[in-house]
Amino acid sequence: MEQALYLATLVGTALMLAAAFSSLIAFRFGAPLLLLFLGIGLLTGTDGLGIQFDNAGAAYFAGSLALAVILFDSGFGTPAGILRQAAGPALTLATAGVALTTALFGIAAHYLAGFSWAESFLLGAAVASTDAAAVFFLLRAGNINLRERTRATLEIESGTNDPIAIFTTITLVELLSGHLQVSGDTVWLELLSGFLLDMGLGAAVGIGGGMLIVRLVGKLDLDRGLQPIFVLTLSLLVFSAAGAIGGSGFLAVYLAGLVAGNSAIRSHAALKRFNDGMSWLAQIVMFLVLGLFATPSQFGAILPVGIALGLFLIIVARPVAVWLCLLPFRFARNEAAFISWVGLRGAVSILLAITPILGGLENGRAIFNTAFIVVLVSLVVQGWTVGPLARRLGLIMPQKIGPLEKVELELPGSVHHELLAYTVVPGSPVTRAGRRLPRWARPSLIVRDGRSMRWNDAGRLQAGDHVYIFVHQRSSRLLDRLFASPARVEPEDADFFGEFAVDPSRPAGDLEAAYGSTLTEPERKLTIGALVTQRLGGQAEYADRISLGPIDLIVRDVDENGRITSLGLSFEPVTTEVMPIVPGAATAFRRISQWLSRKPADETQAEAS
Amino acid sequence: MDLTDLIEVPAILPALKAQTKKQLLQLLAERAATETGLPEREIFETILQRERLGSTGVGNGIAIPHGKMAGVKRITGVFARLENPVDFDALDDQPVDLVFLLLAPEGAGADHLKALSRIARVLRDGDTVAKIRGATDAAAIHALLAQSATPHAA
Repeated sequence: MEQALYLATLVGTALMLAAAFSSLIAFRFGAPLLLLFLGIGLLTGTDGLGIQFDNAGAAYFAGSLALAVILFDSGFGTPAGILRQAAGPALTLATAGVALTTALFGIAAHYLAGFSWAESFLLGAAVASTDAAAVFFLLRAGNINLRERTRATLEIESGTNDPIAIFTTITLVELLSGHLQVSGDTVWLELLSGFLLDMGLGAAVGIGGGMLIVRLVGKLDLDRGLQPIFVLTLSLLVFSAAGAIGGSGFLAVYLAGLVAGNSAIRSHAALKRFNDGMSWLAQIVMFLVLGLFATPSQFGAILPVGIALGLFLIIVARPVAVWLCLLPFRFARNEAAFISWVGLRGAVSILLAITPILGGLENGRAIFNTAFIVVLVSLVVQGWTVGPLARRLGLIMPQKIGPLEKVELELPGSVHHELLAYTVVPGSPVTRAGRRLPRWARPSLIVRDGRSMRWNDAGRLQAGDHVYIFVHQRSSRLLDRLFASPARVEPEDADFFGEFAVDPSRPAGDLEAAYGSTLTEPERKLTIGALVTQRLGGQAEYADRISLGPIDLIVRDVDENGRITSLGLSFEPVTTEVMPIVPGAATAFRRISQWLSRKPADETQAEAS
Repeated sequence: MDLTDLIEVPAILPALKAQTKKQLLQLLAERAATETGLPEREIFETILQRERLGSTGVGNGIAIPHGKMAGVKRITGVFARLENPVDFDALDDQPVDLVFLLLAPEGAGADHLKALSRIARVLRDGDTVAKIRGATDAAAIHALLAQSATPHAA
């Protein structure tokens, strides 16, 4: 008995360590870290080192819990502001987009793989959701600094489409396995009401649960070490409670995270870090388990069909669905192309493909294997090319500020103030003569060469000083600017932000006089800033770009209230490519070697407690 | 487009002395007046009008003041290398020591903008700029501007 315990733990920890170490390698390779985890699972599984694991129920159970943890974290880390910006397009993609992708993919699967119609749509539903883990990871860790709206759309889409794909898949499995009886005429009506009930209950439980979590954390004086565990447990409680009463647990747990993360919850920073860690663990577990569960030796026969379907999904189904869904939202062509390319499939799709096996469907294994191959194709092709593609489409924004050394300390008794510890880096604005800290920042202590001194005694700040500042939470972003090292200005930045600066407070008519832009009579009376804001539909955002006849105006900066404070002027309207192109083998090889010689990307912000 | 189409050797001032942005613009306008045969005052007003829209200092000590004027026959440039850099309200707060003034006819439209972005591009090249800063006579600067046009032509 004891032997078995040690053996199981040994194998488990060895797998986890292998996965954790592989993340170091993956950072250098760029994208497919998750692929590596999956690979480790496959290598040690039935057809590799021979770990036997074919318990579909256990795999589904572990995967679902892991997904709940990941969704809670992704909700927790999504700021409400981003939600406001991208809710429209993201939710359209998550609902109509999933439906369209399911339908298109289902049709292809029926003709290519020869599954029955219902089975084909089931397969389509399983692979219709983009993987939150994969998308988040690629965007955040890949150092891809995207325009906010594009990034927000992708992140929120990937968080919210899982519940919908899960609903569709499970409903189809139940229909097929005969657990769900519906009569022919009312089938659509029943499905729709089932959907609304599922999502409605999930949303209600999720939002209520999120608020409850915030209250409980505030009320109960738990030990600090226990608090994150407490929150995690509560989130899983929300997940299971919603599921138990017939709602979507996944939607509930995502919304609970969203509510909790956007409230003034106690020890927000510590919770965030803990959730991040748990999210990593959940991803590793999920991919390892799914990798172990798969049996690659069965893939042979359906491999070509699976690859064809994977490519169909990437090249036809997803782009068509994205294009149709984004039509009403006025996305630039290159942005729409990018969004359709970052439709990564991941563990969720594989997880969902287990349900046909659980439901005892005849073709269950075949459906699972096909979905597995589709996911592999997506991870390899898309995961590997996201970075280069974003650069190619000109979507990566220059960093706003340079690297920064900062530590945030939470103060007991207040969620609104924090103590920030900055290390002064050479060349940062605070070291320049005459640059003082604003009065609202209350520098309380300076540590220089190991000696602590008061602010008044320290004189001008020097590189290497540690400055402790007591500050209201909202204003810390402004301080970052003062303490950051100067952002490097690359030649491309001038392309991105325009050669010349334009004062947004000047009348728009001046632009017409200088460059011959054609304006309407009311537009002439506006200031340039107001004109740009109006053309952007009322809300201007960093790096937005509008075209005014022969010139482009680019938003270089906005203030706290969303007013434009700085504009750039470019004479070269951006040319965008229509469809993404997979780089050829030679290019891919060159890029890989470039990546290998590059340092890990995430050095920009050192944050610890 | 070749930069030397826009500027003649006599329109290059290799060691201009100016104390302020305003004085610098005046000296440039004076030079442009002899090139175009238009009144100096009018040229000065035109480029000053554009400066009000936002400084044409593009950073790294470079400025490209410009404007459109009736009466200008063709796109005309004046280039100056300053002895001592002057403050130009540039975005990066650096004083300016290389200035390319560009005047275009009222109807120049796209050509005007093309010329501007060409100049900005050439003056973004670190090597060229360093060499121009080191040059001492008009002909040498003219040659550098001409040279820089070729490798980037594609």
